Amino acid sequence: MKSSYAYYPGCLASLSQKELDTSTRAIADKLGMTLVDIPGFTCCGAGDVHEARPEYYLHLNARILGQAEQLGQDTLMTICNVCTLNLRQANAKLQADPELLQRVNRNLKEVGAASYSGGVDVRHLLWEIAEGDGYEKLKQIAEKPLTGVKIAPFYGCQILRPSRLLGFEDPDRPQSLERIIEACGAEPVDYPSKIKCCGFPIVLARAEVALGELIQPLAEAKEAGADAMVTPCPLCHLSLDAWQGKASREADMEFDLPIFHLAQLVGAAAGLSYDELQFKRHIVKAYPVTDKIYQGV
Amino acid sequence: MQVTLKIERYNPESDESRQETFTVDVVEEATLLDVLDVIKDEVDGSLTYRKSCRMAVCGSCGMRMDGAAVLACKTPMRPVVEAGEVPVISPMGNLPVLKDLVVDMEPFWAKFRAIKPYLDDGGEEPPVKEWRIQQEELDRVMTEALCIQCGCCVSECNSMEADPDFLGPAALAKAARFVNDVRDRGGKSRLEIYNGPHGVWDCTRCYFCNQRCPKGVHPRDAIAKVGAAIYQEGMHSDGGARHAKVFVKSTHQTGYLLETHLVPETVGAVNAIKEIPFALRLARAGKVPNPLKPHKAKKLDEVRKLNKLIESQEQATLEAANAGPTRPPADPAQAKESE
Repeated sequence: MKSSYAYYPGCLASLSQKELDTSTRAIADKLGMTLVDIPGFTCCGAGDVHEARPEYYLHLNARILGQAEQLGQDTLMTICNVCTLNLRQANAKLQADPELLQRVNRNLKEVGAASYSGGVDVRHLLWEIAEGDGYEKLKQIAEKPLTGVKIAPFYGCQILRPSRLLGFEDPDRPQSLERIIEACGAEPVDYPSKIKCCGFPIVLARAEVALGELIQPLAEAKEAGADAMVTPCPLCHLSLDAWQGKASREADMEFDLPIFHLAQLVGAAAGLSYDELQFKRHIVKAYPVTDKIYQGV
Repeated sequence: MQVTLKIERYNPESDESRQETFTVDVVEEATLLDVLDVIKDEVDGSLTYRKSCRMAVCGSCGMRMDGAAVLACKTPMRPVVEAGEVPVISPMGNLPVLKDLVVDMEPFWAKFRAIKPYLDDGGEEPPVKEWRIQQEELDRVMTEALCIQCGCCVSECNSMEADPDFLGPAALAKAARFVNDVRDRGGKSRLEIYNGPHGVWDCTRCYFCNQRCPKGVHPRDAIAKVGAAIYQEGMHSDGGARHAKVFVKSTHQTGYLLETHLVPETVGAVNAIKEIPFALRLARAGKVPNPLKPHKAKKLDEVRKLNKLIESQEQATLEAANAGPTRPPADPAQAKESE
């Protein structure tokens, strides 16, 4: 774990998923991480700009990396899987190809944006607290163990695959979330589709296909006895939380599974309150689990 | 070394499935395919699987080891044995099982045929005996040309699991190989095939295909290349392309995603009306940003200029690509000289 990071919340945590940004800032404080805001950051383009306009995507991300560098930071911290893959992929491309980096910098210069030398590493919050001194620190701040709470880890795709660009852990047998759940005093629940897709990227363009994908982890986690689910990605969160009702109707099953952001799980174990972690902003009510956590009922 | 495998068996005659455990002695260098060969030779001749070249070229021996699609001939067993593991070997996913580890590849080939997997030169005669292209023009399609059609990418495709008609990563990687071939004249009619209801916009970007491909084809990246070609041709009829359009527009207008535009502009106004109760639930939880006061990034003009600048560069690249192959000299004598 670093003592300071250029902090990239991305769009969702800045807009509809604000509870993630708030919770992240709150736990960073507890963990002793300084988060330096990047003034003028934009959307990373998600998978959409990446697909439709790959050159524009590359420049958007180079601009963000350049801004982080300008802040004097050598590590940019993300809290979203899609942002993580987008930024890491652009970074890997730029770092491996000096001619490309030069061409991109020429374009950035032409529009008056900060250039990028290739000196920033992109890391997701999950990776920073799942091992090493970050993990030790996490264990120290988890003063209110979530005893008796069964939590299903849901990784999402773009923090695991492709591993040549992400590479933090075995993409088929990840353990980082399980380790964190244990450090928080809760019990990790295992189920096969924890590494599969939540369907979110196509939830509007291909609702049926996306719901077909979403039902699987919800049904399996519920079947495995989970009280709640935790995810390191706000897009997965939106899918699992906001679209859970639709998945429930489609599958004709009652899920009622509260979905936690990673930072909320850590925050709850670190003694941060229901209000501080903004659980009220969830669509699937978190009470059944948060009551257990905060009132022991 | 001693290897133990749990193999998923399926007998089509009795329609019975079972898991069977085999332990055999093999050489240290043995691959999964070598182990299966020893089992078949020495223990149970009825064990059924496909194989041919034994060197990761023919694409016959795709199967799953602990749920992950691999080429059996390219999977060394020593690390597995050293880790003390007893892996489960099963047939590939997303394809019907015929017997034991053999799947029916017909649905796979049907999708290949559907994407028009051949060069469409538009009936034009090549200037000298054949169409010749430059190295850099070949490089544009080389990654996808490495595909050996083993099906490992298809095996774990999450979208295909939910929509069995999805063209899928292997066929669409092949599509990219023709879309980006400067000799191809398929143009929009070719792209229309990939822009259909089970085409590129079905891909949920789970990246299992990139992870599983044993040949470095990166099928998801290939799908994105086809998506880019469709998008940049101005073909925005599909909800997938319209969804991407909102992202491009958002970065230009505010620097952030215009979340409130996504639903109406992707699914259309009529369908969006049906989503109003859902939107209200989201709004009550504070999940709908104020559309009248969108959050704007600082230094937005940098991004706007960047968008316009890159757009003009993209346009130039597109025009160059549409101009076709770099023509060799028309004069045969000159052509001979250049050889």
